Amino acid sequence: MKKIASILTSCLFYCAVYSQISTIIPSSSSIAQTAVADTHNWSAFTNPAMLGYLEQTEFGFQFENRYLLNELSTKSAQIGFFSKLICTGISFSHFGYSQYHEMMGGIGFARNFSDKFAMGVQANYFTTYFSASNSYRGTFFPQVGLSVQLSPAFNIGFNASNPFQSTIKTEYVTKRLPSVFSLGTGYSFSPGLIWRSQIDKELSSNYRYATGFDYLMLEKLTVKLGGYWLDYLVPCLGMGFKTGSFLIDLNCELHPLLGLNTFASVHYRFRK
Amino acid sequence: MRQLFSLAFLLSLFSCEARAQDAVATTDQLIADIFEQYTAENDEDIDYDTFYEELMYFSENKINLNKTKREELERLPFLSDIQVENIISHIYRFGALQTIYELQLIDGLDMTDIRRMLPFVIVGEGMNNNKKIYWRDLMLYGKNELFFRLDKGLESKEGYQFLPEEEENTAEENAKKYIGDAFYHSLKYRFHYKDRVQVGVTAEKDAGEQFIGKMHTGYDFYSITAQLKEMGKFKTLVVGDFRANFGQGLVLRTDFGMGKSSYVLNVIPRNSGLKKYGSTDENNFFRGVGATVRLGKFDVSAFYSNKMIDADTVNGSFSSRYTTGLHRTIAEMSKKHTVNQQVIGGNVTFTYSKIQLGFTAINSLFDNRLQPVRATYNYFYFAGKQQTTAGLHYRMRWQKLNVFGETAMTDNGALATINGFSFIPLSQVNLVVMHRYYSPEYDTFYASAFAETSRINNESGFYLGAEIRPYKKWKISVYADSYRFPWAKYGIDVPSVGADYLLQADYAAKRNISMFWRFKYEGKQGNVPQTESALPVVAPIQKLSLKYSLSYSFGNFSFKNVLEGNLVRKADAPWTYGAIASQDVSYDFKTFPLKVDFRYQFFDALKYENRVYSYEKDVLSAFSIPMYFGLGSRYYLNLKYELNKRLSLWFKISQTIYADDREVLSSGNETIAGNKKTDARFLLKWEF
Repeated sequence: MKKIASILTSCLFYCAVYSQISTIIPSSSSIAQTAVADTHNWSAFTNPAMLGYLEQTEFGFQFENRYLLNELSTKSAQIGFFSKLICTGISFSHFGYSQYHEMMGGIGFARNFSDKFAMGVQANYFTTYFSASNSYRGTFFPQVGLSVQLSPAFNIGFNASNPFQSTIKTEYVTKRLPSVFSLGTGYSFSPGLIWRSQIDKELSSNYRYATGFDYLMLEKLTVKLGGYWLDYLVPCLGMGFKTGSFLIDLNCELHPLLGLNTFASVHYRFRK
Repeated sequence: MRQLFSLAFLLSLFSCEARAQDAVATTDQLIADIFEQYTAENDEDIDYDTFYEELMYFSENKINLNKTKREELERLPFLSDIQVENIISHIYRFGALQTIYELQLIDGLDMTDIRRMLPFVIVGEGMNNNKKIYWRDLMLYGKNELFFRLDKGLESKEGYQFLPEEEENTAEENAKKYIGDAFYHSLKYRFHYKDRVQVGVTAEKDAGEQFIGKMHTGYDFYSITAQLKEMGKFKTLVVGDFRANFGQGLVLRTDFGMGKSSYVLNVIPRNSGLKKYGSTDENNFFRGVGATVRLGKFDVSAFYSNKMIDADTVNGSFSSRYTTGLHRTIAEMSKKHTVNQQVIGGNVTFTYSKIQLGFTAINSLFDNRLQPVRATYNYFYFAGKQQTTAGLHYRMRWQKLNVFGETAMTDNGALATINGFSFIPLSQVNLVVMHRYYSPEYDTFYASAFAETSRINNESGFYLGAEIRPYKKWKISVYADSYRFPWAKYGIDVPSVGADYLLQADYAAKRNISMFWRFKYEGKQGNVPQTESALPVVAPIQKLSLKYSLSYSFGNFSFKNVLEGNLVRKADAPWTYGAIASQDVSYDFKTFPLKVDFRYQFFDALKYENRVYSYEKDVLSAFSIPMYFGLGSRYYLNLKYELNKRLSLWFKISQTIYADDREVLSSGNETIAGNKKTDARFLLKWEF
C-alpha cells in the first residue's frame, strides 16, 4: 500500500497542478475548488482576502481523502477572528503519513473595504519530513489575495500563493513549493443561485479551469454541482447543511483515472 | 443649439469636479496608458521620453480649445485626425465653448475621449501667445526642472566579472568585458517659459559604459537643445539637438510615427515641424540649427545638421550604422563617432482654409561611404556617400471627408507614395482608408511612415480602419491591413504577402470600471530554416492574440487585471501558445504624499514566437514593456513620494523569477547565473 501511495504521491507532484495544490493547499468547501471568488466561505490557504468577509468569529475542521487511500489524506483546521478593523485567521494543515508528511501553518490578515473590495495577506510556514535524513525542513512563503465586488451580483477574486517561488533545499534534493496564480469570478443569478468560475496556474503545471454552481435548495440545504478540467474532466458534486451555528459540507470529485476524492468540513460560527 | 449647450453644461456640473480631480490625479498614468495603447500592437521601439514630455507639457500648459489651432491639437496623439477636424470645425461653426463638456456634442468624441483630454485642455478666453518676451518674465515665470535617474541590476552579469590574470587567454577574454560599472544614470535639465522658450540639457551613461576611467571620462551621451517659438516672423527656432517632422513621414520624420495600433484611426503622422530634442535616444535626431518662418500663408522651414554617428568603419567605408547607443566594451567603443553626417533640409507648407500643400527635401552627406554587405534582402539598400530625397504632401478637408497623402522620390528615381482618406458616414462611425506603395529601391534615412516594418521601403499595402460607437459606453475599433513585400525582406528570402486584422471592444461600464477585449490575427510568411532545397523556402506564419483588460478603482485604490494569450503556428507545425496574467493594485495616500503600485504576474510562453509584451508602471518619464518568454513570474513595487512641492522621488524594484529550470539568463556579457533577475530604479525630480 505504501508503494501505491508513493507512486500516486509522485504522480500528484509531477503530473497535475491540482495535485500540487492539493498536497500543500487543503481543498475548500467550495465546489470544484472555486474558492478564490467565494465570498461566503473563507477557506484556509486559498484566498486570504475572503477572511475580510467574516461577520463573526468562526472555526472549522476539514478532512479530505484522496482516492480512498488513507495515506493521501489532508487534515486541516482554521480559526478566524472577526474584527471591524482587520480580521485575523490562523490555519494549519497536515498531509501524508509517517514516512513522508507535509505540514503548513499560516496567519493571515484581511480587511473588507466598505463591501467594495477586500484585501488580505497571509504568512505561511511550510515544513516537510524527509525520512532519508530523518529531519524536517521548512520555509516561509507569503500569500496575497484580493476580492472586488464589481457590481451587486458580480465579483472577482485573485490569489497569489508563494509568488517568490520559495524552495526547500536539502543536501540531496530541492523541493519546489507550488507557486500558484488564481483568478476567479462569482455571479449571483439570485440570492439562492451562485455561479463561480476559476482559473489556476501553478507555474510548472498545466492550467486548471473550474466552474461550479451553488443552489440553495432549502433553507438549510445547498446543493453544489461543478467540475474542473486538468488533463481530464473531473465532475464534482456536493452538499452543504446549515444547522444553527454549524455548517457542514460534503463534496466529492470523480477523477476518471485516479478515482474518488471525498471532502468533509465542519464549521462553527459564533454568534455576533 | 445654445439650449443644448446649456443642458450639457448643467448635466456635467454634477460630475465635473470629481472627474476633473480624477483626471489630474492620474496624468502620469493616463500618459502611460495612452502610450501603452500605441505600443501594444506596434513592434517599433517608440521613444517614450518625447511622448511623455510633450503630454506633460500640455498638462502644465493646457491647450485653450477656444484659441487653439489644428497643429496644436494634433500634438495630442490620442485624438484622431477626424476628431481634431471635428473640434476645430465645431468651434468655427458654433463659436467658443462654454464648458469642456460641450465636447460631448461633437461627432466622434465620447466620454472616454473627453476624459483623456481633460488633463490637457481648458476652455476660456485665452492669452495672446505672440506677446513680447522679457527677461524678467523668463526669470519670474520660467520653470526649471532637474531629473536624476539611477538604475542598477542587482545580480552580477558576466560582463562585469573579469578573469584572474594568472589564467590563460585572460587578456583576450577580459578585453571583451564591460569597461565601466553596472550603474545606469542620467541627468536632465529642462527650462521652459510656456512653450515659447525651452532649453534642455541631457546627459546619460548606460550600464557598462565607463564614467571615469582610461577610455572615457564623463557621460557617454550629451545633448543640448534650445527652442524659441512665435518670435516675430519666426514660428520656430531650434539650436542644438532637434527633430524635424514633415508630411506623412516619407521624407522626414524623426519623431514617433503613426503605426498600426488600437487607435485605429490615428494613421496620419502629425505635422509638427521642427522641435527640440529631449530624449536619451542617441541616434534619431539632428544636431545643428533650424528655423521656420511664417510668410503669409506659407511656412518655410530650413535646417542644417552636422553630427558624428556610430558605425563599424573599415577603410573609409561602413556597412551599417550602429544605433544601439551602447559603448560598453572596447569593440563598441571603436564604433563610436566614426562617421560624420551632414544633413541639410527644408520644407515649404502652404495652408489655405482647409487645404494644405507642402514640399520637403533633404540631402544627407557622409564622410565615409556606406556600403552594406550585400545579401538578397538588402540588395536595394542605399550605398554611397550622398543622398537626396524630396516629396510633396497634401491634406484637404471637404465636409466629412479628409483626404491626405504624400509622394516622395529619392535621387535614384525610386518612388514612395501613401494616400488615403478619412470619412464620417454616420455620427457613430469613423472610417479611414489608406494605400501605400514603397518601391524596393526607395531607401532613405529619416523616413518613418505607416508600414508593416520599421524600414520604409519594399512594401505595398492597403489599410482600412473603423471606429464604431454602436451603443453608449461601447466602442468598437477594427482594422484590416493587407500588405505585400515585392522583394525579399530580412527573414523572408522571397517576395511575400501578409495581413493583419484587429478587433477591439471597449466598454466603460461605469466611471470607475472599464474594460476591453482585443483580438488580433497576423498572417505572414517567414523563412523555413534547415531545408534541403537550394532555393529559399518560406512558409506561412499565423498568430492569433487575445487580450482582456479590466481596470477599476474604489476610493484611493485602483486595480487592473490583464489576461492575454496567443497561438502561433508555423507552416504545418502544431499551434503553440503563450499566456500572461497579471494583477495590479495601486494606492494613492491622500493625506500623505505617497503613491504605491504593485503588480504580480505570471507568464507562460515557452516558444520565442509566443513571447508576450506587457506594459508596467515605472518611475517618472520611464516606460517599461518587458518581453516575456519562458515560464515564470514577475512582480514589482513602484513608489512615488513627494518630499515637498519641489522635490519628488520615485523608486521601483522588480524581479523576474523563471520556473523553467534555466540555470542562466540572457547571453554573452549580459549573462546572469541563476533564474532570477532583479532591477532597482531611482529617480529624483527637483523643480525650481
